[in-house]
Amino acid sequence: MTAETRSTVRLLLGWTPVDIAVADSNQTVLQYLRDQPQLKGSKEGCAEGDCGACTVVVGALKDGAIRYSAVNACILFLPAMDGKQILSVEQVADTELHPVQQALVELHGSQCGYCTPGIVNSLLCLNLNGGAADRQAIDDALIGNLCRCTGYGPIIEAAEKACSTELSAAWKTRIAAAQKQLLSWAADDQALALETRNGPYLAPKTPDQLAAALDAHPAATLVAGATDVGLWVTKLGRSLNPLISVAEVADLQSMRLTDSHLEIGAAVTYSEAHQALSEISESLGELVRRIGSRQVRNSGTIGGNIANGSPIGDMPPALIAMGASLVLRSRAGRREIPLQDFFIEYGKQDLRPGEFVGRVLVPRKLDTFRCYKVSKRFDQDITAVLGAFNIAIENGAVVSARIAYGGMAGVPARAVGCEAALTGKPWNMKTIETAKVALDADFKPMTDMRASAAYRTLAARNLLERFYLETQNPAVALELASRNHMKGLVDG
Amino acid sequence: MSNDQSTTNYRWVGKRTPRPDGVDKVTGRARYGDDMSVPGMLHCKILRSPHAHARIVSIDLSKAKALKGVKAVLTCAEIPDHPLSEPPYAPIINDMHDISRNVMAREKVLYDGHAVAAVAATSERIARAALKLIDVEYEVLPHVLDPLEAAQPGAPILNEDQFTFGDETEPKVPSNLFRSITGKRGDLEAGFAEADLIIEREFISEPVHQGYIEPLACIATTSEDGCVELWTTTQGHFVIRALCAKLLNMELAKIRVTASEIGGGFGGKNTIYGEPVAIRLSQMTGRPVRMVMTRTEVFRASGPTVGSRSKIKMGAKKDGTITAAEVDTWYQAGAFKGAPVGRAVETYFSSYKIANVRATCYDVCVNRPKVAAYRAPGAPMAAFAAEGAINELADRLGIDPIDFRLKNAVGEGDESLMGSKYGQIGLVEVLEKVKSHPHYAAPLGPNQGRGFALGYWMHGGGLSSVSAHLLDDGTVTVATGNPDIGGSRSSMRVMAAEELGIDIELIKPIVADTGSMGYSHLTAGSRTTFATGWAVVNAVREIIDKLRALAAKKWGISVDDVIWESGQAVPKKAGQDRIKPLSLKELAGMATKMGGAIAGHSEINAGGVGAAFSAQLVDVEVDPETGFVTPTRYTVVQDVGRAISPDYVEGQMQGGAVQGIGWALNEAYIYDAEGRLQNTGFLDYRMPVASDVPMIDTVLVEVPNPNHPYGVRGVGEPCLVPAPAAVANAVENAIGRTMSWLPLSPPKILQAIEELKLAAE
Ligand SMILES: Cc1cc2nc3c(=O)[nH]c(=O)nc-3n(C[C@H](O)[C@H](O)[C@H](O)COP(=O)(O)OP(=O)(O)OC[C@H]3O[C@@H](n4cnc5c(N)ncnc54)[C@H](O)[C@@H]3O)c2cc1C
Ligand code: FES
Ligand code: FES
Repeated sequence: MTAETRSTVRLLLGWTPVDIAVADSNQTVLQYLRDQPQLKGSKEGCAEGDCGACTVVVGALKDGAIRYSAVNACILFLPAMDGKQILSVEQVADTELHPVQQALVELHGSQCGYCTPGIVNSLLCLNLNGGAADRQAIDDALIGNLCRCTGYGPIIEAAEKACSTELSAAWKTRIAAAQKQLLSWAADDQALALETRNGPYLAPKTPDQLAAALDAHPAATLVAGATDVGLWVTKLGRSLNPLISVAEVADLQSMRLTDSHLEIGAAVTYSEAHQALSEISESLGELVRRIGSRQVRNSGTIGGNIANGSPIGDMPPALIAMGASLVLRSRAGRREIPLQDFFIEYGKQDLRPGEFVGRVLVPRKLDTFRCYKVSKRFDQDITAVLGAFNIAIENGAVVSARIAYGGMAGVPARAVGCEAALTGKPWNMKTIETAKVALDADFKPMTDMRASAAYRTLAARNLLERFYLETQNPAVALELASRNHMKGLVDG
Repeated sequence: MSNDQSTTNYRWVGKRTPRPDGVDKVTGRARYGDDMSVPGMLHCKILRSPHAHARIVSIDLSKAKALKGVKAVLTCAEIPDHPLSEPPYAPIINDMHDISRNVMAREKVLYDGHAVAAVAATSERIARAALKLIDVEYEVLPHVLDPLEAAQPGAPILNEDQFTFGDETEPKVPSNLFRSITGKRGDLEAGFAEADLIIEREFISEPVHQGYIEPLACIATTSEDGCVELWTTTQGHFVIRALCAKLLNMELAKIRVTASEIGGGFGGKNTIYGEPVAIRLSQMTGRPVRMVMTRTEVFRASGPTVGSRSKIKMGAKKDGTITAAEVDTWYQAGAFKGAPVGRAVETYFSSYKIANVRATCYDVCVNRPKVAAYRAPGAPMAAFAAEGAINELADRLGIDPIDFRLKNAVGEGDESLMGSKYGQIGLVEVLEKVKSHPHYAAPLGPNQGRGFALGYWMHGGGLSSVSAHLLDDGTVTVATGNPDIGGSRSSMRVMAAEELGIDIELIKPIVADTGSMGYSHLTAGSRTTFATGWAVVNAVREIIDKLRALAAKKWGISVDDVIWESGQAVPKKAGQDRIKPLSLKELAGMATKMGGAIAGHSEINAGGVGAAFSAQLVDVEVDPETGFVTPTRYTVVQDVGRAISPDYVEGQMQGGAVQGIGWALNEAYIYDAEGRLQNTGFLDYRMPVASDVPMIDTVLVEVPNPNHPYGVRGVGEPCLVPAPAAVANAVENAIGRTMSWLPLSPPKILQAIEELKLAAE
């Protein structure tokens, strides 16, 4: 690290600046809030990012202005809050309740109340971001907040009543002051370099600093949004030492459009990339919308999803079918590989020591493309099978086919036999039937708690057929894309 | 006591009043189990078995004890053992022999997650590290998860000292079958002979967890004089006190338990898990000890509900008269006896007048966590089987499902199979409300189906205590011994205000600790508004009597000549118009000068419970390509006796229905071949989220319970009883075949659809 480093975390806790000497780099934001300032309003229901009881609102600078997002405090490491603002439930009311709180009280949006602080924050965020509060927006904001008592009806009514109310003058003033504070912090360019009893935590600001840090600490764990890594600590009880964050590297936070590609930095979150990805493909956009919950998408990155190497990560199969590639960087330089080559076998990726994922290059022009996620429940659920199809048809025949599946093997992978069975053949049901048989030979899925091998095989076949039917009748696709006409697990 | 319910002209009862707990909950101020910290507090972590069934050969604590920051380590050696309890067995068995072993495994571990040892250390991190230093040697034994298999001879035996109770052959070999309970009447053979249609079916339901969002948490503090203070999240701190005292051989008065605000329980927080461990560690170290379970521990080691297998046979005549019904149901108790078998028998067929009937339910131990209550314990799985069979009967006889039930409905004077006698009940009113509801006639689209089921629940009564205090300024505190889990503070306040005739804002409802109150049973069994509410009425009536006496003294007239009206003492006799009535506030101001502070108390054992019926209509849409089910419309119609606080009553009904949707469609404990629980987090134990469920419509039918001053019936549990059955029935009607195995996950439905397709070819 350069001398331009800082060894304490500074943030706005509510509206007050605090400087924190972090004792343990693995400490989560939730642990900090509850143990140090003893703000017990944020609850722990799972410590795994599933229940949303710990939801806090985080304000961070984006293009010079403060932007608010709801995140799960239970899996975020405290140092990731450096230079940001945390609003926990204690800071929502001033002399009077915020309209969201008021509506939750009046309309009985809580029973036991344990989920309530998290729900207040999720709805507060909806309100701060000033969007329309229709049922879809409210559902989206609430999917990451489990409530076992109310059945959600009264919470949704409260949201409908309060989420689109105009911000009070007092709130606007406070936000402006917070923004000013964050801007003044951002003006000095210090990277965070903590020494803690649990080892160092480094948050470099440039790719070169990151490469140097990795070089100096070859055993370090990289962390982006921590929606996977956080659970290694909270669920698996591991101690991560040292930790290097990629999230503050400005270059990795950016997206670029070239003629041919959308280049997504490895620190770009799902929420940030959603719009741009939807513009490439509505189907892909819908897939992103269904990843985890709003809180997970606000922290989690596409780079992390890829680097994690899970066979049931949602982005890799879709991106493989699209023909995406990966820019890998290290002190030694930079190399570009097709995404599909990154996944070598279960638990093993083509990532050399000292290397990190820099960017994902997503082609902007696709052939006919769809991706379908099959899970037990529609939202906030892990994939059983994911099928992604990118097929060029000319004069009624398939000229090229890129098909990738997740959940069917130890890595996200292309269905090579299936592709071959399609290529050069007429695009009709007979070809599909042959391709289905070929597909069976491509994968030997396993049985686990999410699905049986037989179900996976059947679902994988059905997805191919559904894709075919949709290309024949675009109206079907439209209907499936809409949550209100939701036909089940599969949407386009 | 007067139970005159002729007036419904209430000022507060039945009105939508502001809630007393709202602001604290939306500001994060409410204090739950883990929201306390005590100076010097140690952190407890529990080591749990990785095996479904194993003998503990040895435990080596030495390395853990040597770790810096570790203050104490314990095993079962520190938890007193107790002999097996003797018959007769209560409906809910609290056998200290079992509880001792469930709290800390003794000879064997009996399920994945069973507690084996515990550590108290200066930080959670150190406590966790210490667990890794404990060496346990296990001898792994074969395990059994299914209750039918477990009840067979030759199955791996969990508890070698358990012999089937009530078996006349006086068995010499131990068995996993602890007991069975049978309810019967009439002549089955004759009944089935009369039937024009007989159906036989098997139903299976998997264990589901209560899924409260707040994990189990407590802090125990011991002082040098041996007294213990315990702060815990519980549905009944008096029960926690009783169980801890009995288990640890302590005197009741030496344990004082304060209930935290409770983050959901649904029956799952009715018993002890970590509390005695925290107490012992606190005694061993002389320091406060905090025990908080992780979500994984909650799933692995705190009771889910029973899973069940039922074999049912029913017969009916062409005109719809049910002539006979017979069922055998095996309930998994988990590692120790005590499945709610009595409640199952109570539930079976209890909404119907059937002349010839038998229900038998078996209480079977398996290598799973010991079950706990879950919202109408034992009933939803029984209703799933019974209502499923009844829907099939109605369907095959071509009779409308509501008409079919109306034809067989029980009425006043009838009895359940366990002998509960029905007083004035609202069953027919409920059924008729469903029939006339627009939902019943609404058109359905393709791939959609409508389901219906009826649920019965006899709520609880029992022991409750209340202390109400009138303060100098005319405000009133109403303290109960019941944690507020579903809005009891509101309904207590409403009933007190109604009696006293004052504004509800003048009344502060409080949940008091075990040191301040008489015994109060659990907030469970839908009993609190009924029983504790009744005690509130008694207690404030005592205050009213004292205020009348005070006014009488002031006026120099007989107390019999003073009545209480609209919050004031008024002279009764004509001709005394000169005497100005005295308001509660005025009297409160005089009280301490004229004899002393005024309070009212009530310690009751409430009888007079009333049966409650909940009927549910649900529409679903099934995706024929993936088997995915979406509930699209849901209506709950329930006889609530009288809704003291209608907002909360509706909240109970909505929450119950959504739990039923989760139970029917997705929730289940999933084990691997070694008997290890696979889905130990909310991502894989997937409960409904907002986008999974429709808005739940509620219709309150009010047929007052004549035994209660305000006509209250329990409302919290009946609403879950029929829900899984109703959802399953809707799926059946959407795809056109019977479905008998919960949860109705996409793979099961897809398979059913494929089978239908094959059959059609
Ligand atoms: C409740 C919940 C729901 C979820 N739902 C879904 C879902 O529906 N679909 C899905 O696919 N996933 C899901 N996930 C998993 C997770 O959110 C995603 O995998 C996410 O994309 C990870 O991104 P991250 O930024 O949080 O990565 P992190 O957790 O920070 O890192 C993940 C991995 O990538 C490595 N890494 C991160 N950045 C880099 C880099 N630049 N270079 C090299 N290595 C790097 C890390 O070392 C780690 O191994 C869910 C997680 C949770 C908690
Ligand atoms: S505690 Fe459950 S999501 Fe954070
Ligand atoms: S109110 Fe209890 S979990 Fe939401």
